[in-house]
Amino acid sequence: MIEVLIPGFHTTVQDLGRTGYRHLGVSVSGALDRQALMLANRLVANPDNAAGLELTAGTLELKFHRDAWFSLTGANYEIKIGSREIWHGWRSKINAGETLILKGPKSGMRAYLAIDGGIDVPISLSSRSTLTAAELGGHQGRALKVGDRIPLGDKLSLSKPIGAVQRGYSNEVRALAGPEMALFTQDSRKVFWSRQWRLSNDSNRMGARLSGEALNLEQEPNLNSHAVMPGTIQVPPSGQPIVLLADGQTTGGYPKIATVIEADLWKLAQTRPGEKLQFIHVSPNQAEDANYEWQQYFYRLQKAIDSCS
Amino acid sequence: MSDDLLPKLFRLGEKALVLDCASLSGSNSKLQIQRQIWHIADLCKTSGDFDDIVPGNNNLTLFFKDSKKISFWSNQINKLWTNKQVQDKPSKLIQIPVQYGGEYGPDLNAVAEYHKLTPREVIAIHTSTQYSVLFLGFQPGFPYLDGLDKQLFTPRLATPRLSIPAGSVGIGGEQTGIYPAQSPGGWQLIGRSALTLFDSSSEHGALLKPGDRVEFVSVRSILDPSISEQPILDQAISDRSNPEKAISKQAKTSHKESSR
Repeated sequence: MIEVLIPGFHTTVQDLGRTGYRHLGVSVSGALDRQALMLANRLVANPDNAAGLELTAGTLELKFHRDAWFSLTGANYEIKIGSREIWHGWRSKINAGETLILKGPKSGMRAYLAIDGGIDVPISLSSRSTLTAAELGGHQGRALKVGDRIPLGDKLSLSKPIGAVQRGYSNEVRALAGPEMALFTQDSRKVFWSRQWRLSNDSNRMGARLSGEALNLEQEPNLNSHAVMPGTIQVPPSGQPIVLLADGQTTGGYPKIATVIEADLWKLAQTRPGEKLQFIHVSPNQAEDANYEWQQYFYRLQKAIDSCS
Repeated sequence: MSDDLLPKLFRLGEKALVLDCASLSGSNSKLQIQRQIWHIADLCKTSGDFDDIVPGNNNLTLFFKDSKKISFWSNQINKLWTNKQVQDKPSKLIQIPVQYGGEYGPDLNAVAEYHKLTPREVIAIHTSTQYSVLFLGFQPGFPYLDGLDKQLFTPRLATPRLSIPAGSVGIGGEQTGIYPAQSPGGWQLIGRSALTLFDSSSEHGALLKPGDRVEFVSVRSILDPSISEQPILDQAISDRSNPEKAISKQAKTSHKESSR
């Protein structure tokens, strides 16, 4: 069990999300930077889908009530056990009674804390992910608060610290043309791909709201709502695009100018409000190659982990 | 069958395919097309090829486990569409007790004024229709209903409310529906229901499913639906015209147990 002494800003329990419930209007939810959570889990020998904590900003202090191995990945946080400094991206041991202090981020936006055995909140609708809009999953369907006591799974027998190099962040986000790309004016299409977009303060787990030169339609379309998904870039009448993220609504009726590829969706999670992004137009084949690169990364990572233990 | 009688198919991102029937709406009613969509969704479910199968407003989105299957299913869907043997599934009728007006329906009087109707007439029209659940979306358990009477089409609020309570029943443009959870919203709120529309502790989750039929029943108190046979409207609703005019329909509507 871990006890929350200081909750940080919007710290939630997340795994890789829920599938199979979108037809009920239930969002996918889950870690915004899935690869960072997977890496954190691999470092402590958890299954990829084990639940960890997603940190958004601020200071998080957790008192551990059992010995545990943990790792922190994603955004770069200062990590301490008491006054002892711990490396980011490594697995380390903490003893029962000690307090883990996480401060940040120095760079990036969201960090992922994995603990051996995983966070053992009840499964709701096939996942432990928190979906705050529906008060579903995670710890009581909400972000952590002071005094929360979070159950952990059974501890694993691990030895010695190991660490991994994370893939580097760039603000270039690859995207496929969206189904309504052709409805935008030629100028707006050019603006979309050639200009930089600033991440707005209103962004959250539902959507990354971008600001820049407004995008215009050739004419007002009459679109019927259909399913949308994380990565879908909708353009509401304001002309300012919104990239839907894990907690985004399941159906939408705004024109969709593009779709961020799955391999780059994590970059939206790691961009801070005020920072800039640029979209790079790619083909479905290039999107598949990008997925393959992630598979290769995790394949090589696992080889390295196995050879250490 | 000629191509213009087939749905359009397009890719949505890497692993999703949308079957869009917007162009078929000339030949069939929205509900007929939607029935065929539910039928195709049921057929797709048995294959195990999909993570999620999501009906929308006269469309269906298939989320593939493996993008390599997209071309196979693109062909398959057209075949399924033309070999249609849609049988009407027995659909549930669910009655939603609603307390109209007053603090629960702050826009009822405005909606009535907009249409030059009395609040009672608005309620009578709203409760006299059987609606069909076309799909769920926007938030868990939120039903998109087909069947609002044209007389009640009302523009959304100029400024959406930042937060409206769970159970609020509203009209937005050509649509009516119920908000399962507290959320922001721009619809005109005419009443509220105490029914739970979404319950995450149940595997089915949502009270309403695509294909279900819905009736709104006017009740005197949101907390005690059993007293609906007493005079329907409380004093919170201003009524400027002859009360006999619209009340007859409601007076004979008694509350029945929800069929859940």
